[in-house]
Amino acid sequence: MNAPLKLVISGPVGAGKTTFVQTLSETEVVSTEADATEDIGKATTTVAFDFGTLNIDGQELHLYGTPGQDRFDFMWDVLCEGALGLVLLVAGNKPQDFLHARHILEFITSRNPVPFVVGVTRQDLPDVWAPQDVAAYFDLPVGQVLGLQATEAVSARNVLIRLLESQLAKETV
Amino acid sequence: MTSGSKQETLQATLQTLRTSLPELRGALVATIDGLPIAQSFSDNTDANRVAAMAATALGLGKRINDTLGAGELTEMSVTGADGQVFVYATGRKGVLAVVTPAAMNLGLLNIEARDAAQTVALVL
Repeated sequence: MNAPLKLVISGPVGAGKTTFVQTLSETEVVSTEADATEDIGKATTTVAFDFGTLNIDGQELHLYGTPGQDRFDFMWDVLCEGALGLVLLVAGNKPQDFLHARHILEFITSRNPVPFVVGVTRQDLPDVWAPQDVAAYFDLPVGQVLGLQATEAVSARNVLIRLLESQLAKETV
Repeated sequence: MTSGSKQETLQATLQTLRTSLPELRGALVATIDGLPIAQSFSDNTDANRVAAMAATALGLGKRINDTLGAGELTEMSVTGADGQVFVYATGRKGVLAVVTPAAMNLGLLNIEARDAAQTVALVL
């Protein structure tokens, strides 16, 4: 039995981090939602973390979703300690958030260089950026950027599988 | 009550607390999603940071209490060798954080800070 793998889910407000963890977790999600007092396009926001677990091919995964606002950047540090992978989510219909997403990615990977994939959420919407266009924006290989719907288990799971594959590839080098 | 006078009442509540307990390093009221509303610090403590941390502590404390069946969270504390932070739930919308030196009269703090927390809850 392998030890659980700690994976962090980060990204700007409204990217779908909490939904992603809720969709995938096979155990009750520990979430820390508080009523939002600023206009962020939704009623509540994560103030500490979301925690969920799942099993893929016998490997237990622990998912930690972070808050999205910069004022909670200390939680990015706290949650990324000992993490073995990062999923950076961006809402594909909010290109105005891409710069912030890149800032979060740089903040995390400069302090803790972990393997990561970028997930472009809201692929069900009409005016959404395609993953390959987001890959170009982030200057990343297309294989490292995937489209998904955070509400939909198969596409969300595929993001984790891609992350695990990239990690295995790294370990065998 | 206009929002301007709310702000003044909150600021006055923090001032009263600090006058009663002059050894306090500071106190702050924040929204439960981590934005500062009123603050009073003796040093150059970053209020934005403390506000976010108070909200995180409160959110986490609530979950711990839920898990342990300890009921609604009223307060929590973090203690270090050189100081302490007490975080109080103030109604549904706010949080009060009080930063103290290590050697603090906790009996007095409990009375004064809980009073302040009640006032803040009423105002918000």
